[in-house]
Amino acid sequence: MTSIVWQRRRAAVSSTWREFTRNRGGLVGLVVLGVVVVLALLAPLVTDATGLDVTKAAGDRWQPPSGEYWFGTDHTGRSVLLLTWWGSRISLLIGLTATVLSVAIGTLVGVTAAHFGGWASAGLMWVTNFFLVLPSLVLAIALSTVLPRGIGTIVLAIGVTSWASSARLVRAQTLSVEARPFIERAKVLGGGHAHVIGRHVLPAVLPLVFVNTTLTVANAIVAEATLSFLGLGDPSMVSWGSMLRAANLHGAVSQRAWWFLLPPGLGVVVIVLAFTLVGRALETVLNPRLRGDR
Amino acid sequence: MSPLLELRGLGVRYRTDRGEVTAVRDVDLVLEAGETLGLAGESGCGKSTLAMSVLRLLPKSARVDGEVLLDGEDVVTMGWGRLRAVRWARASVVFQGAMHALNPVRRVGEQIAEPIRLHGGTARVADLLDQVELPAAKARSYPHELSGGQKQRIMIAMALACDPKLVIADEPTTALDVIVQAQVLGVLSRLVAEQGIGLVMISHDLSVLASTCDRLAVMRHGRIVEQGPARSVIAAPTHPHTQALAAAFPVVGDPAFRQVEPDEVRESTPLLRAEGLRVDYRGRGGVVSAVKGVDLEIGSGEIVALVGESGSGKTTTARALLGLRPPTAGRVLFEGADLPTSSKGLREYRRQVQLVLQDPTSALNPRHTVYESVAEGLRIHRVPGDEAALVADALAKAELRPPEEFFPVLPHELSGGQRQRVVIAGALALGPRLLVADEPVASLDASVRGEILALLLRLRRELGLAALIITHDLGLAWSIADRVAVMHEGVLVEQGTVEQVLLDPSHEYTRRLLAAVPSTTP
Amino acid sequence: MLRHVAGKLGGAVAGVAAVVVLGFFLFRMIPGDPTVTMTRGRQVDEAQIAELRALHGYDRPIVEQFGKYVGGLLRGDMGTSLFYRRTVAELIGERVGPTLLLVGTSTLIAVTLGLWLGIRGAWRRDSLFDRTSTGVALLGWAMPAFWLGMLLSMVTGDLFPSGGMRFSSTPPGFWPQALDVAHHMVLPSLTLIAVVYAQYQLVMRSSLLEEMNADYLTTARAKGLRDDQVRRRHAVPNALLPTVTLVFLHIGLVVTGAITVETVYSWPGLGLLTYEALAGPDLPLLQGTFVVLAGSVIVMNVLADLLYQVLDPRVRAS
Repeated sequence: MTSIVWQRRRAAVSSTWREFTRNRGGLVGLVVLGVVVVLALLAPLVTDATGLDVTKAAGDRWQPPSGEYWFGTDHTGRSVLLLTWWGSRISLLIGLTATVLSVAIGTLVGVTAAHFGGWASAGLMWVTNFFLVLPSLVLAIALSTVLPRGIGTIVLAIGVTSWASSARLVRAQTLSVEARPFIERAKVLGGGHAHVIGRHVLPAVLPLVFVNTTLTVANAIVAEATLSFLGLGDPSMVSWGSMLRAANLHGAVSQRAWWFLLPPGLGVVVIVLAFTLVGRALETVLNPRLRGDR
Repeated sequence: MSPLLELRGLGVRYRTDRGEVTAVRDVDLVLEAGETLGLAGESGCGKSTLAMSVLRLLPKSARVDGEVLLDGEDVVTMGWGRLRAVRWARASVVFQGAMHALNPVRRVGEQIAEPIRLHGGTARVADLLDQVELPAAKARSYPHELSGGQKQRIMIAMALACDPKLVIADEPTTALDVIVQAQVLGVLSRLVAEQGIGLVMISHDLSVLASTCDRLAVMRHGRIVEQGPARSVIAAPTHPHTQALAAAFPVVGDPAFRQVEPDEVRESTPLLRAEGLRVDYRGRGGVVSAVKGVDLEIGSGEIVALVGESGSGKTTTARALLGLRPPTAGRVLFEGADLPTSSKGLREYRRQVQLVLQDPTSALNPRHTVYESVAEGLRIHRVPGDEAALVADALAKAELRPPEEFFPVLPHELSGGQRQRVVIAGALALGPRLLVADEPVASLDASVRGEILALLLRLRRELGLAALIITHDLGLAWSIADRVAVMHEGVLVEQGTVEQVLLDPSHEYTRRLLAAVPSTTP
Repeated sequence: MLRHVAGKLGGAVAGVAAVVVLGFFLFRMIPGDPTVTMTRGRQVDEAQIAELRALHGYDRPIVEQFGKYVGGLLRGDMGTSLFYRRTVAELIGERVGPTLLLVGTSTLIAVTLGLWLGIRGAWRRDSLFDRTSTGVALLGWAMPAFWLGMLLSMVTGDLFPSGGMRFSSTPPGFWPQALDVAHHMVLPSLTLIAVVYAQYQLVMRSSLLEEMNADYLTTARAKGLRDDQVRRRHAVPNALLPTVTLVFLHIGLVVTGAITVETVYSWPGLGLLTYEALAGPDLPLLQGTFVVLAGSVIVMNVLADLLYQVLDPRVRAS
């Protein structure tokens, strides 16, 4: 029997994939993401991390792009190409882990608030709405000021402040699934909470969570860059945000050092755009309501 | 002089992802001024597409062939400006489901006045409201503040706003209760007759059409299979599909539609009993009693119909009997013992009493195969034995044969009737003694209703399965129930054997209900 | 209705109270007391820490500190800034105006622009206009505000001033001053608009797309309305309602943008003040800006909720 089930699932996945590949934007986004991830993973193998050390910088300060330094050098004479390359690792790492944290909290809160009614659920919804409205960056700033600097702090600060929209989304979806008669049928058959959530709610909610995850990564990466730009990042690590911070503090604008400004910013834009395109494409595939026929 | 409406070789195709789908093919139809025509058919037969094509309201993906002549003028080739001038002024539409057909954020008075202002003329909203028997003050209401019947009257007033010569009514009373339906149909027929308007009325319900229209046309698979004077089409249908449709709407009191032999009602021991059952809801405006003290008994192997209009509390009663909603007062006894309140006890109880829901499409998880859906109960209760064999057995009992072929099928690949059989099979898998069926055929096409009802009767005969059937349809009760209980505003106003209650009603409400049922025999 | 309003106002009070409580405990959540944060990474001896503690009352029991903090807030006293040596309330009072000006102007323009683009795009779904405007919006949305800010000021060069709010050389008088401020505000507001308008456009677009298949639009067409009348009179009023809620829900994001934009352009508002408080860190000041920014966003949202009650007849009735 299970083989039939698996065949069904495989067929479902492959039809989703076919549907997805029809969306050109999503496909482009996916390819870009693939390339960026591979490059980020390869960085320690292909390049030499000692070039990131200020004391061992080989080049002159503010050197425009040349054959030797493709992207020029920064205010300490380090290669901007190398910095950008290594910076992608931190952006991706923090973006992904913070998203996992945020979506996990959001899903848990959303399903719980929708499935079990009563006071506890009302309380959870109040907290969710509170966090939804609260300017998340302001809270994240406060959190990362108080906690010791480091990757963990940034992940925590982003994750803890950005889960509310996932929670709201998951709650709405759970409510709409639970309003369907097949849930009542499952209850009449004798199914308890675990059965209803495990067999009916989660399978229906997870595709949406997946889409939401992709879109949340984009937010998390921008949030990471912003926090680092404000000087709340890990001072020992190079990230795109910290590069832009340096550019701002050391007058890259007045120096007209476009080569120091463009690569990290474009890095953020490209990754965020790629995640967004993939997310939107997935959304149209997995959420048939958006597939209008007119 | 050209007829009011003439369709010549009309065909409509939709472009979809899976190629072209033909919705209407080669339809010829003539309607003279002041004539009323009923268009009958099951869902998906193309009757709504046909209606929409008259004013060219089809979605962009539609391709239209043939001619739609309105007063001799072809709508299909009309320019946009001319088309806009013709819309609503020459012909207007009473849409299906007034809930969605009215703009939720604008007052209904404005919405009635809008076409008048557009086509020139003085807004006479109060007058129009008066015609549909609504007070003029209702013009200031928003749609959500009105009842279903009132909204449908608003739609009728709106349709008459520009004095059209033709009105198309698309399932105008589908979601309404019988008594309200009778009132709305009365208003519509009166106005159409008074003002000499031509009417095309679309419905799946032959009895509704028979009571309002002179002529009938029956559609199937996009074609008109039979047409003629309403009386003769219903009395002597020639096409088998028309016969099936006619048979699906039992006439209360007609022995030909009674499927239960009187002697089939044996003495039975009480199975499920409600005593002084009361259920309160805590709403915004305080406590509302949905069920106000109900005494009801279902014997083993007995089929009881609980009849009432929407909001009468019949569904809440069913939920309380199933233990899905704790009663505020009173008790429910199964085989003489109080219903358990612990979740473990309730789980055991579920093996005895099962539910069949109204809409099988939403009662099945669209991601689960037939096998998974039927096995769901078995898995929850960890029923010992060969799961596949038990599932096959349940499917066979629900007349899905050969059962193995249905195992890997997903619900959307089944017809409505088959889906309802899967739901029933899922209930049967647990070997229950009683089925509670909430409007078990209301969302099914007319031609398969009979089959599902026959299945319930056969299950009773062969397995001794008792059933409580919740329905708004008196004809349904007449056709398969042993006893009837009539519910109104949370109270059982009358109960007894089918013959007693439906042929010789003692309560005034039952009489009103019976009088409102549209009948195919005028 | 009245009960509903009262409930909402109660919610607002609870929300602001939560911000106040959060503002207190957030800065005390690590072991020890805020002096640990304030002196992190610096050479300080025990005596200096003790002095700091005594100065801010961190040596008192936590309940007493909290009571003092809440009492102070109620009187409008949020403590004294370490860096400026002035009261936090005074500093915030000075900076509120510029932020309101910048955020208000930008939000107004961004909402108008976003809604207009969203409506046009949805009505002609998948047209060239729709594709292009959605693409541009996504691009703007993907950009970190501060990066776009730096880029803009580098590209425009000396065309616009790239820092501050006015030149000290500008003659007094309303018009010269106003023009000077407007001149300074061009780049910051452009940046902020570019980054935030996308969300309004996307929300409006999808909201309108949801309404596009609604039955009442068929009714409107059947009545003989022109396409633009159907859109203006029926589709947009319905689609606008959910958008209103989201516009206000996203105010938090605009505030986020304002912090970095003000930082890049040295716009003397609350955002820049927050950034200045980070160096140090100047905890009393940071606490003050946190409470004021978060509190006002919460109040704005409650106002939006009440506005929604007035706009949507369906909610109004219940």
